[in-house]
Amino acid sequence: MPGIDECLSQAMTIAGARGVSLIDWSSGLTLGASGHSPTGDHEATAAEATDLVRAAADSPTFADPDDAGTPVRDIIVTSDRSYHLLCFVGTVFDSRLALHLWLDRAEGNLATARFRLQAIAEELVLG
Amino acid sequence: MSGVRGARIEAPGATLGMPLVQHGAPLGELLGRPLGETVERLADRRATGALRCTSGSVYLEAGVVVHAESEFATGLDALLTRCGRIPPDAWRASLRAFGAEHRVGRMLVEQGHLTQGELELCHLGALHDAAFFTLGARSMVASFEPGVRHWLGPVSGVSARLLRREAVRRRDLLERIWPCPQVDTAPVAPGPAAGRRRVRTSLRQRELLHHADGRRTPADLARLLGRSAFSTTVEVRRLAAAGIVATPPSDALRPGAVASDALAPGALAPDVPCPDEPLLPTTLAGLQRRTPGAALRRPSDDLAGATVTACPPNAAAHPLSAHDPDIALLNRVRIALEARL
Repeated sequence: MPGIDECLSQAMTIAGARGVSLIDWSSGLTLGASGHSPTGDHEATAAEATDLVRAAADSPTFADPDDAGTPVRDIIVTSDRSYHLLCFVGTVFDSRLALHLWLDRAEGNLATARFRLQAIAEELVLG
Repeated sequence: MSGVRGARIEAPGATLGMPLVQHGAPLGELLGRPLGETVERLADRRATGALRCTSGSVYLEAGVVVHAESEFATGLDALLTRCGRIPPDAWRASLRAFGAEHRVGRMLVEQGHLTQGELELCHLGALHDAAFFTLGARSMVASFEPGVRHWLGPVSGVSARLLRREAVRRRDLLERIWPCPQVDTAPVAPGPAAGRRRVRTSLRQRELLHHADGRRTPADLARLLGRSAFSTTVEVRRLAAAGIVATPPSDALRPGAVASDALAPGALAPDVPCPDEPLLPTTLAGLQRRTPGAALRRPSDDLAGATVTACPPNAAAHPLSAHDPDIALLNRVRIALEARL
């Protein structure tokens, strides 16, 4: 049965993965990280990712107003060299968690990566 | 729990019940230090046991923080039973059967009540929440009980430095939202903007407001709803910043309030004049009135023990010397509203 570290290791096997972290977006805490970080510091990256996630989750435009648990499913940011996938992790108990996967654009496939990251997020909770 | 009588370290000259480790430095050097620093010192000595403070406990195993509990934070039991993830009866049965052997966590997973991922996620969340409220307490009174282990048993560990850094970061986050820590422990009551105009609130906030009966504090509401105490505190500070929840007058003596300087000494600007504030009792010596915006700096500054010498412009312009506390509060509201425009 996978724990946090096993799920992060799995995420790093996604084609093009450069780094992954599990963040608590209520506080900006990094619960776990693997691989590299765009800023060289997983904690700093988590804090910035938290700002992005919070902006979307608190927004009446982007968030589902009736879903207090996971108001957004995922957020995708693309640039010339990278993809960033932020996948919300839903739990029965109260939590505000998201997986942040940093992908190399030349090596990664966005659709596949999104699919796999969502599967990993579910596996982390459901076992 | 197999309690060894703890060595009180609250007063100078306290007799030590037993040394932390055989070759460790005397416990007395931890006197009067912020609790986060005390946990770091204990970790440096690879201590095993429970550090008991006025607002909670931090458990260490071979120098690694393995759990924390606080009366102000929602515990694993409420987090997991209130949402229906584990039936209360099953939780109590696990606690009775395996608590004495310190393996409740492992058995919850082995008996299929939780997945390993859920246990780790919930445990880490509860640990950091409790550590935030424990380390942030104004009182530095603490005692260490060597050898004591938590009934949950090993799940995952956190370094003492990460624990403290995270607590400082959380405090700074709250300060940026609304620099009035007194709302964290006061009963949640309607503020000036409640019901007067249409203010947009989230579903989570509306649930909080629905259960706020004027007596329940944020910690009570978090426990009642089975929510993380820190995320509830974040919501309450936001509601207070919007005026939907009342901000009571500053009460530095309120127990459990996360002291602005408890986590990092020297974090406050030392030369801010506070003519309207009476001197605090000696037990709180060194505490000063919060300077709005004083926390708007990188947490790493705290870790280096740097003293803040310059405040952001908005803090400098803030009328701290206003003699009427209501005017000071209204000014804060105005500044917060302007910041949101």
